[in-house]
Amino acid sequence: MGKGGKSHEETKSGEDENMAAWLVGLNTLKIQPFKLPPLGPHDARVRMKAVGICGSDVHYLKTMRCADFVVKELMVIGHECAGIIEEVGSEVKNLVPGDRVALEPGISCWRCDLCKDGRYNLCPEMKFFATPPVHGSLAHQVVHPADLCFKLPDNVSLEEGAMCEPLSVGVHACRRANIGPETNVLVMGAGPIGLVTMMAARAFGAPRIVIVDVDDNRLSVAKNLGADGIVKVSTNMQDVAEEVERICKAMGGGVDVSFDCAGFNKTMSTALSATCAGGRVCLVGMGHHEMTVPLTPAAAREVDVIGIFRYRNTWPLCIEFLRSGKIDVKPLITHRFGFSQKEVEEAFETSAGGGSAIKVMFNL
Amino acid sequence: MVAWLVGLNTLKIQPFKLPPLGPHDVRVRMKAVGICGSDVHFLKTLRLADFVVKEPMVIGHECAGIIEEIGSEVKNLVPGDRVALEPGIGCWRCDLCKEGRYNICPDMKFFATPPIHGSLARQVVHPADLCFKLPDNLSLEEGAMCEPLSVAVHACRRANIGPETNVLVMGAGPIGLVTLLAAHAFGAPRIVIVDVDDYRLSVANNLGADGVVKVSTNMQDIPEEVERICEVMGAVGVHVTFDCAGFNKTMSTALSATRAGGKVCLVGLGHNEVTVPLTPAAAREVDIIGIFRYKNTWPLCIELLRSGKIDVKPLITHRFGFSQKEVEEAFETSARGGDAIKVMFNL
Repeated sequence: MGKGGKSHEETKSGEDENMAAWLVGLNTLKIQPFKLPPLGPHDARVRMKAVGICGSDVHYLKTMRCADFVVKELMVIGHECAGIIEEVGSEVKNLVPGDRVALEPGISCWRCDLCKDGRYNLCPEMKFFATPPVHGSLAHQVVHPADLCFKLPDNVSLEEGAMCEPLSVGVHACRRANIGPETNVLVMGAGPIGLVTMMAARAFGAPRIVIVDVDDNRLSVAKNLGADGIVKVSTNMQDVAEEVERICKAMGGGVDVSFDCAGFNKTMSTALSATCAGGRVCLVGMGHHEMTVPLTPAAAREVDVIGIFRYRNTWPLCIEFLRSGKIDVKPLITHRFGFSQKEVEEAFETSAGGGSAIKVMFNL
Repeated sequence: MVAWLVGLNTLKIQPFKLPPLGPHDVRVRMKAVGICGSDVHFLKTLRLADFVVKEPMVIGHECAGIIEEIGSEVKNLVPGDRVALEPGIGCWRCDLCKEGRYNICPDMKFFATPPIHGSLARQVVHPADLCFKLPDNLSLEEGAMCEPLSVAVHACRRANIGPETNVLVMGAGPIGLVTLLAAHAFGAPRIVIVDVDDYRLSVANNLGADGVVKVSTNMQDIPEEVERICEVMGAVGVHVTFDCAGFNKTMSTALSATRAGGKVCLVGLGHNEVTVPLTPAAAREVDIIGIFRYKNTWPLCIELLRSGKIDVKPLITHRFGFSQKEVEEAFETSARGGDAIKVMFNL
């Protein structure tokens, strides 16, 4: 095919118009045309095939904001995605039309200190799919830098490709927390992020993993996915002491690293109390802005708190984990929808409902 | 004779029977003992975090003295040697000890942390391996200062202070000031220190702070204070913040002022529960590092003092002898804070 080739499908105006799911107002999604930007020399045009829904997408739908990001204008939603290359820019050497790729959403500036240091996930100029004002990827097609499109091996599906995004959060957390064959792991929360974190921890060699949640169904899913122990907990702060006891018993040894994948006072307090002296608590889940936690007694045992924001340089490792079977994300995909107005609305309702819905996936 | 904490607000100089000298022990005649905020806290409340004074306990732990007698297996010291003492005896059998993180040993026996007796005494018996010989050009008072300085050195190590880390220090009390000195010795290019007290800020200035910022105890002032701090620090920003006070206000300011990817060290142990903007900090990967006492810091402290890279002498503001009256007065002085930075006993 060569550089800059187009797929055999010609784009006729009006017929093959690019459509996307737009967040047009509070609780309102509309499938409308989405004009693609021009294809730069280092870009690729990708036909979307699989797009997952994230808690943040739901949060934007329900509140039009997430932390300091506010939806001020219409914005295309969605960021967990994979598709097929349709066209590549003139300078693109690593991909050709027809290639199946998973997309890393965030485009950083590559000029600031943080980027040059490799910590590009913290770039202040980050342009990230579906973080306003940058449009997302729940669309027929997107244009994206080719270096952020990662080729999928034959035995990894496009849905698994889309799962690389949430899995990347788990992988990045495991790296920052230094998970290995000697770190017993506690995971707070058995939602999608808690589950991918558990799977990543296992792939990194964690010898024992205990996961906690308020929901019996999610705990049983976690058990089936290989948790060494599950503990049911409450939302009641008074129960922290008793729950820490049950957690330590289920662990059978100390907790070296805790991942708080929920991010609330209760979960953070439990994590800080349950973790051994000299251990680490990773704050993965973004719950409340201000938190009231027993930080001092934790600091006095040199339990460190590690912040996790998205990921960096994780796609190659995620793809390898999936290719080799070290991680199997397929059980997390519980609901599937097509790309129509009705199905988009239903899909988001399902995802927002939580419970038995873990990962809701669009097939386009 | 030693200074016993016999009850709330009550210290009494009374006899203290020394334990027998083990083969690896030394008997030390105390010459210089400093007062720590924790000593004052035990005096005023009979407790500190989970440690409760249930029986009379000898106070004091920042100390240096002269070797009087050595146990049969002691090879590194002889009577007459001038030594600084590291207070805490780890168990040396648990995982943490064997990994070198003995400061968090669950069976730690530490001077003046109940039920272990302290060292504000004429003599103590202590393991020889925790007594570090002082070079000729270091005084015994400087030897006693190795203890608070060790907290700072340990914090600088855990925070990875070096020639590229701009440092912010919350609090210009004794711990904030030794942290300023240690950060400088570790090569920090710029150090800004904050406090509510003008006098302490001027001391910090004289000790080499690149900038001082006066702050309040008012939570509402945080955004404005963060702005002033960042202005004083300069465009690159704060890489590491040491909270040497440990309150909601100082922790919240630290978390907001530190740049993405940076670290906040919680050194000061203030309140049990704190209310802080943890999530926005975590979302910028600002990590929180806990600091508890120190490990393997005496040799480095002694070297930094010997070479003059650090000068702790200006921190010793008040001196007292070892009599009932002076012990009471010394603790009152230390408890008062303000212009009293380090109160030192000369025995």
